[in-house]
Amino acid sequence: MNFTISEEQQSAQQLAQQILSDFTEVDKLKAMEQQQQSFDADLWQALAKAGLLGLDIAEEQGGTGLGFSSLTTLCEEVGRTVAPVPVIPVLVSAAGTLRRFASDSQKDQWLPGVASGTTVIGAALEEYNNDDPTAPSCSAQKMEGGYAISGTKICVSAATSANRILLSAHTGDELIVALIDPRAAGITLNPQLVSTGETRHELVMAKVQVPTEDIVATGSEALAAMDWAHLATRTALAAMAVGLCDKMMRITGQYTSEREQFGRPIATFQAVSHRVADCYIDVECLRLVTQQAASLIDEGRPAKDAVQIAKIWCGNAAHRVSQAAQHCHGGTGVDRDYPLFRYCQWARQIELTSGSSAQITGELGQAICAEYLPKVG
Amino acid sequence: MNIELTAQQKALQQEVREYMKTVMTPELLEEIKIPEFKEGGGPEFRKQYARMGADGWIGLSWSKELGGRELSHVEQYIFTDEVVRSGFAYPFLTTESTTPVIAANANAEIREEVVGGVKQGKVVIAIGYSEPNAGTDLASLTTKAERDGDDWIINGQKMWTSLANYADYVWLAARTDPDETKKHKGLTMFLVPTNIEGFSLTPVHTLGVRTNATYYSDVRLPDKYRVGEVNAGWKLITGQLNIERLSLFTHGQVDSLYQGVCEWAAETAAPKGGKVIEQPWVQHNLATVKSGLEVVKLICWKQVWAMDQGPLNMADASVAKVYSSEFFVELYRLLLEVMGQAGTIATDSPGAVLRGKLEFRWRVGPVLTFGGGANEVQRDIIAMAGLWMPRTR
Ligand SMILES: Cc1cc2nc3c(=O)[nH]c(=O)nc-3n(C[C@H](O)[C@H](O)[C@H](O)COP(=O)(O)OP(=O)(O)OC[C@H]3O[C@@H](n4cnc5c(N)ncnc54)[C@H](O)[C@@H]3O)c2cc1C
Repeated sequence: MNFTISEEQQSAQQLAQQILSDFTEVDKLKAMEQQQQSFDADLWQALAKAGLLGLDIAEEQGGTGLGFSSLTTLCEEVGRTVAPVPVIPVLVSAAGTLRRFASDSQKDQWLPGVASGTTVIGAALEEYNNDDPTAPSCSAQKMEGGYAISGTKICVSAATSANRILLSAHTGDELIVALIDPRAAGITLNPQLVSTGETRHELVMAKVQVPTEDIVATGSEALAAMDWAHLATRTALAAMAVGLCDKMMRITGQYTSEREQFGRPIATFQAVSHRVADCYIDVECLRLVTQQAASLIDEGRPAKDAVQIAKIWCGNAAHRVSQAAQHCHGGTGVDRDYPLFRYCQWARQIELTSGSSAQITGELGQAICAEYLPKVG
Repeated sequence: MNIELTAQQKALQQEVREYMKTVMTPELLEEIKIPEFKEGGGPEFRKQYARMGADGWIGLSWSKELGGRELSHVEQYIFTDEVVRSGFAYPFLTTESTTPVIAANANAEIREEVVGGVKQGKVVIAIGYSEPNAGTDLASLTTKAERDGDDWIINGQKMWTSLANYADYVWLAARTDPDETKKHKGLTMFLVPTNIEGFSLTPVHTLGVRTNATYYSDVRLPDKYRVGEVNAGWKLITGQLNIERLSLFTHGQVDSLYQGVCEWAAETAAPKGGKVIEQPWVQHNLATVKSGLEVVKLICWKQVWAMDQGPLNMADASVAKVYSSEFFVELYRLLLEVMGQAGTIATDSPGAVLRGKLEFRWRVGPVLTFGGGANEVQRDIIAMAGLWMPRTR
């Protein structure tokens, strides 16, 4: 048992902190919010130069190969700074899956560009009412030289700038994982404004032709790939929520220590300070379950329960901390000229991405039932 | 980072688990059905406690000099977790909280008498801090000790002195400086033998366990029973609180309740066909319990791991206390809901589920959130030590 964060991981985290805070001054964030796409290309390049886009990409493909846990610390820092960069879809859901499940030639084709920041591979894992990429309703039809994919994915990040988008579809007999070109014939990208304030896209596919070279996996391999992507994405979201919630709580601790009403700092009212203390407890609990899930994934150990628990905590903590932070700020908490609101927007987005707490509690409950029914036979 | 027990630690866990099965004899299981003996003190309890001493299981965390094995905090936690899980009323406050403090601060003769006795499983020590008018604000206590030659004369009343009905000593906090401005700096610690003249008690029956009011009427106590310097008692009291909490909120005791209810729900028929566990609302409760329980485990492990690295962070210790105490209460309810009315059937009545363990846990549950450092005070500490917020008033 060892809760120490490795030195390499610590220095990656510090480096990320430094770069991200340089690029996320309020004026910069505001400017970014005026743009069509909230994707800070300069920041992305800076992260690439520092080697931070390749934390979970093998050295052969130009990464540092530090592993999944290190990548989750980058996600945490992005949460802490609400930086407009798509680290989770690109680095976790797409590149992380490619690293583990793609052919050597696909890895050589795509991952060096992801690590160097010249290529963006997006991911589209969710559909309406379905966050499970192992059971998509999108369909794939085998044809000469590849597959034709039809169906709809939702809330896709970086869809207009991505070179490829990783997604799954079903042939009827088996699952396939494919890289689709968002400019291919048969694709419509419909803008979707989401809670974070950014524009994402509904990705509608009508018999989009995907050549064999862009098929990442089929059958049981595809199932394993999407299983991994699902677990890794949920864990990365929880890590991002650690950064978000920690920052919201600290902003609130500071604000309530300075803001005075009735002639004294409002933090000297127990009712106020205890609400912030409860955030501290939530953050610590969320951090622990997230670290556990990330380290299990990193070691390639069974992680399903741990990930479900982490995402349940993620949704609950994100909701509670966000509401407490806004409540303790009064009107300032909803003012768009004060930094807090962005964190609250992200918190809601993350809470409802890749399965809500209620849904995953249901999933975990079914798993408990399946575990115990045969035991007592 | 690796958040798992090592092979060696798992082996220790297994060893303690197997050993504790031999301690929980059928005689002891019968004996603890008697309310008076639920928290220990019966003849079979005494016998098994002494056997643990003879077999070398007491004081594993103590220094080699005291006859211990200097177990790391992680190993000590593994031991504690398994002992609590077994249901044995092991006197942790005696062995882990007070005895090491006594060993470090008492005079040689008392040290020999008490530490040696505890090591052999022959001595139990009750904690005499709280008073009718001194609870959370412990330092306002008024039981006083006055110097008289080589002795101290003690007068006052303690409240909630658990185990005093069978303990050999009371670890007593008394005021030795009446100056009101020296609230925390006027307290001294004593060991009071329970057979001494002027000591008496009356039982206090709580919803869960029996405890006591203890009275000190001109108790003449030789100075050798003083522990530590005069007026330096506060540090001895607070120094052991974190250790005390580590034995209160262990994972195994609640994990075994969860597992027990899962098994019960998997074998028990549901009203409209299938098993109880197949109902979505039951699954929801069990999953909620499981996701909270995981944090209890991680918090315990992180704390003991951190204690092996250096002093425990104050805010983290308070997080552990607040989270665990409130979650335990929530867990009892969520699991009781699964059992429905059967959850209200007491230990020895027909139809009791899990031998009525949860019915009993519910009754002792409320103490968790105000005892061992009230949660309000813990939240104050979190805000101050964790977030540098100003003191509340
Ligand atoms: C079964 C049982 C066994 C016990 N065993 C022992 C024992 O062996 N030895 C021993 O010394 N004591 C023992 N205790 C006593 C226990 O430590 C006290 O009950 C505890 O310290 C709380 O004190 P109190 O009961 O006087 O409540 P109070 O201190 O009066 O608290 C009442 C309420 O006020 C709240 N409160 C208090 N201060 C604040 C504040 N600053 N801010 C906000 N809210 C506050 C509390 O949280 C609580 O909700 C035992 C108690 C019980 C019930």
